[in-house]
Amino acid sequence: MTTEEGRIEVSGLTKTFGTVKAVDNLSFSVPTGTITGFLGPNGAGKTTTLRCLLGLVGPNGGTATIGGRAYRDLARPAETVGAMLEASSFHPARTGRNHLRVYCTVNGFPDRRADDVLDLVGLGKAANQRVRGYSMGMRQRLGLAAALLGDPRVLILDEPANGLDPEGIAWLRRFLRTMAEQGRTVLVSSHVLSEVEQTVDNVVIINRGSLVRQGTISELADHHGHSVIVRGPELDRLAGVLPAEIEVERRDGALRVSGLTTEEVGHLAFVERIELHELTTERGDLEDIFFALTADAGPVDHFGGTP
Amino acid sequence: MTRLVRGEIRKLFTTKLWLWLLLGAFAITAIFMSFTIGFDGTEGNPNPSLSTETGQRNLFAVAGSAGVFVLILGIIGITGEFRHQTVTPTFLATPHRGRVVISKLVTYALAGIGYGVAVVLLAIAIALPWVSARDIDLSLTENGIPGTLAGVVAGVAVYALLGVGLGALIRNQIAAIVGALVYLFIVEGFVSALPTIRDYYKYFPGGANSALVGAQQPGVTLLEPWQGGLLLVAYGLVFATAGTWIAVRRDVS
Repeated sequence: MTTEEGRIEVSGLTKTFGTVKAVDNLSFSVPTGTITGFLGPNGAGKTTTLRCLLGLVGPNGGTATIGGRAYRDLARPAETVGAMLEASSFHPARTGRNHLRVYCTVNGFPDRRADDVLDLVGLGKAANQRVRGYSMGMRQRLGLAAALLGDPRVLILDEPANGLDPEGIAWLRRFLRTMAEQGRTVLVSSHVLSEVEQTVDNVVIINRGSLVRQGTISELADHHGHSVIVRGPELDRLAGVLPAEIEVERRDGALRVSGLTTEEVGHLAFVERIELHELTTERGDLEDIFFALTADAGPVDHFGGTP
Repeated sequence: MTRLVRGEIRKLFTTKLWLWLLLGAFAITAIFMSFTIGFDGTEGNPNPSLSTETGQRNLFAVAGSAGVFVLILGIIGITGEFRHQTVTPTFLATPHRGRVVISKLVTYALAGIGYGVAVVLLAIAIALPWVSARDIDLSLTENGIPGTLAGVVAGVAVYALLGVGLGALIRNQIAAIVGALVYLFIVEGFVSALPTIRDYYKYFPGGANSALVGAQQPGVTLLEPWQGGLLLVAYGLVFATAGTWIAVRRDVS
């Protein structure tokens, strides 16, 4: 596999529904073999972007490609990209196994593949049950199984954690990790950063159809600065000797210092002979950063209906 | 394309819809044939007697009513994909949407032939013993009956094409089914009954179907059977082409 094969490239993508600009000149890229979180509040344009990428929605402008090709130009799409878009794309009267077997037939895979992927997502026991009787979590797993049918190098998952219980979310995290360890490119959308925070390498944050930030998780935290937390019996004296332009905040019997490193604070305390009991770095809270970046979300549908 | 058709066949047989609609097709065939035979020769019945050639052809032609169930099968075959959002995985597996519509046309035409053969066999099983029990000579090889039976199979199969075409055009399942039924039972009823307008009834799908099965209605002129058959196929393909044209362009969201 060349490094370009699994690369997702979105460039200048624009899509309007009537008068609503769902995606507005959006550009970002997902390198091969990484897990990227595609984040934004509900209604930010995540689903529309992913649907454009998969050729289901025709953009008004720009391009979205996988390995340099539009989805519909892929020679064997199911073996290149596996996608899971909504948790309910199943006929309620069909069994999970038969749902997968339909797509085995269409793609020319042996029927055995259906059972393989059912086992992979832990649905083996429910294989012959009609989807009507599946819980939300089981439907999500069946959707993942369908995405894995062609053993694709690229996975595109839209809100896979929706409707999962905490156990299911933990399972999903392990699952995504395994996918990445196998060298697959994963693009996973979510409106809750904490769902994917421990799993993803990179984040692409969008709001109102436009890119807000792209980078690694640590870049995201660093960019918004970190603070030094200091504890000890003489915090007032320490605050007094800190340079005047440094921001200092009292919190729970500790001093929170922004704009200095632990080394600088420690050195200052040593020079001034101030006793310290704690000296640690506090990384910016990612959830707070995420909220700050997407604060002007505008009218948000809190019932999950994303256009 | 073979894989796509096999996939569609698999979709069809992994739910029970085909069975319910087949039972419906059997029921409507049995009911209409029972009426035709049961009321034959009773006073005031305007239909030609079963002892005439026309009467015998009309008897078998009523099996063509099963086409309405195949029409519904075709409509659900395509609108069901939108209703249950399975259209997303379907178009992901086959991004060239025209191929999906073509494979559905082929699949449902094949299914329609199956339904047509099934209702013809049922019609024969009802008619032969019952009609001979009334001392009327009935031979399946005479009086143009072979043509009518072939016409029923063809007509039922073409209704499947019409259904798929209509479903591609009107994605809303309820609207497509209700629209089709209202059209068949109300609009066509008016057209075939109103003076002047009914001269054009032969060009309507119902009229074309009547021509195909060789049925005759008092006061209505029809096309030749082969013309009726071609006209019906043309209707199906026009719907399907228009439906495909729209399906390729419409967003799936």
